[in-house]
Amino acid sequence: MKLRAAVFVAAASFAACEWVADPMSYTREEVPRFKAKTEHPAPLQNPTSLKVMAWNVKYGACRVDFWFDFWGDRVQLSSTEVNDCLSKIAALIREYDPDVLITEEIEVGSKRSAYVDMVQYLLENTNLKYGTFAATWDSRYVPSEGVGRINLGNAIHSRYPIVKAERIRQKDRTDQDPLTATFYLKRGIARAELDLGSGRTVAIYGVHTEAYDQDGTKQVQIKQLYDLAKTETMPFMMGGDFNELPPVCDERADAGTPESCEGKLRLTEFLDERASSKGTSFAQPPYTPSVMKPFYDDFTPYIPLSRYGVGEANQRRYFTHSVLGPDGKNDEGVSGTWNRTLDYLFIRKTDTWRDTDVIQEAGRMGITQDAIRLSDHAPVVGTWELR
Amino acid sequence: MKTALLVSLVSSLALAAPRPARDTADVGKQGDYSVGIFNPLRIAILDGVELEANPLVFFVAPNVNARFRVIGGPLRLTAEAGLSLPTFGMRLMKGFFFPTWATSKNDIGWMLIPRVGVLLSGTVLDNDVWTVRTDAAFRVPLGPNSATQLNSFVAPLDILLAAPLTGVCARAGGAYDHAFGDTFRLRGEANLFITGGQGNLNVDGASVGPIAPLSELIVTAHVGLDIAVFKQSRITVGVLWANYDQGQTTTVKGADGFSERVRVRSNNFLPTLDYIWAGF
Repeated sequence: MKLRAAVFVAAASFAACEWVADPMSYTREEVPRFKAKTEHPAPLQNPTSLKVMAWNVKYGACRVDFWFDFWGDRVQLSSTEVNDCLSKIAALIREYDPDVLITEEIEVGSKRSAYVDMVQYLLENTNLKYGTFAATWDSRYVPSEGVGRINLGNAIHSRYPIVKAERIRQKDRTDQDPLTATFYLKRGIARAELDLGSGRTVAIYGVHTEAYDQDGTKQVQIKQLYDLAKTETMPFMMGGDFNELPPVCDERADAGTPESCEGKLRLTEFLDERASSKGTSFAQPPYTPSVMKPFYDDFTPYIPLSRYGVGEANQRRYFTHSVLGPDGKNDEGVSGTWNRTLDYLFIRKTDTWRDTDVIQEAGRMGITQDAIRLSDHAPVVGTWELR
Repeated sequence: MKTALLVSLVSSLALAAPRPARDTADVGKQGDYSVGIFNPLRIAILDGVELEANPLVFFVAPNVNARFRVIGGPLRLTAEAGLSLPTFGMRLMKGFFFPTWATSKNDIGWMLIPRVGVLLSGTVLDNDVWTVRTDAAFRVPLGPNSATQLNSFVAPLDILLAAPLTGVCARAGGAYDHAFGDTFRLRGEANLFITGGQGNLNVDGASVGPIAPLSELIVTAHVGLDIAVFKQSRITVGVLWANYDQGQTTTVKGADGFSERVRVRSNNFLPTLDYIWAGF
């Protein structure tokens, strides 16, 4: 393997020609599978349940505010910053010790994240031996704010062998000029089939839908996720950053009607939205929680709506996202804290969850790492009871 | 009309003698000049002394290079010394190649870039010229700087900005220029560049750690064809190849079906085109 790799690298060094920006011209295709080089404990054979975690890891930046956040203007991290952050992320993962990990905004060779292969880093620094990476943004150089080379995507890590890995293309935005669209990320879904032993195979989906569109792309992408889940023949778990609020209410309903969101769910004016972001390409588009309703109707969410509750006081403990970290204050002087739910785990309607939660801070579920300082998203976790 | 234009162009090709080879140790007689759109303006202010500047960027990045004939004759040796002030021009690229830094005081620092070099040329056959050269440019900081190397796929831009962004850019190279009759010149050139390291990432005047290291070696080769037009001018077309580390990776699949991600050097090909107007 080493000799072959060396020969390949030598040849590739003089033959490597790549896209300026990969147009991601695929519909559905297999992607490489990776494995740890270090020894890992063998997983339990024929498990009756799987501990799962989904986490948007913000490219290993922890709480460094980037330019599109509007609370800072960084475009690049030092090697020290990335390695420090990843070591804490890996420590939290080891503490929870999942069988399956879904990560979004994970990078494998981006200038901004010090060209670190984060997929391999997590393989070597957790108990997860197998992994796959579905690139959703692969550009040699993004000529915007000096972003430079970027290779970002969704990853799935597992204790169990990944026997097949693929990515499934999502619909692109239609509200961008051709030049911007060329260099913009191309959303896709990671799918991995895990061999649990004795011929049992499950499918895992890692998802991350659009965040900034003004043309309804995210809603179309969420519908695509729903259709995929509906047609999946294997036992499956779908998790990740849906960039959408839970369907506690219907945002289209008039105020005063039973379906109205008034008093039930905050849709706008989150504490981490900076005024200067409004009107820019990174303004928060209106949320449409109603698009999540089919997921709650037809699948089993890790936190049911009855537990999620109505109103911020009840919902707060399940919030998963804040652009602003705890060390930053918004323009009104309020410190950043989790303020909305965007991340989910779903399984078949006939399957069940136990021990589900959002690891928001140190102490939750016995975890000592402080998740709010490790990303702008909190890890969402649960134990999937296999039938 | 088309025929008339073609006849006019062909008849205007200078057939008396080949155009002189470019980018050699040759320094013109007083009053000689040449200028391209991308190639620099070069004026011989004295016999054996030329001044050179790139007019395309001169008003945003003032630059001047002086060339002095040290040895004349069949073997020519020329020394070069130059200075540029690139900061303002670089700041015009904020928002694209550099951050805007909208919420902090980070910026591209003021700096001077001195440059020195030597070229040695010789004539073989009747009109062929070989050249070897070495030069180096350095950054003299005049204030704090937060800008980092581009690591883009446009090699000339990365090389141009290597000294301002990494602190140094040194070159060793050679070229051979062959005349095909009086109309064409074919030129081949190869260069090795060594840049400074990526350095530390400076935020608000303080280092937050080292930037991920990349190879500091850049290899380029250029093949170009000069076509004589009118009395003393030429059109030049060519291809530039550059091989350097841009952080590119690729995956290598093993016999067990699992892959490994490995770093590779990138290759870039750029077409080159210019019209060079000259006078003697």
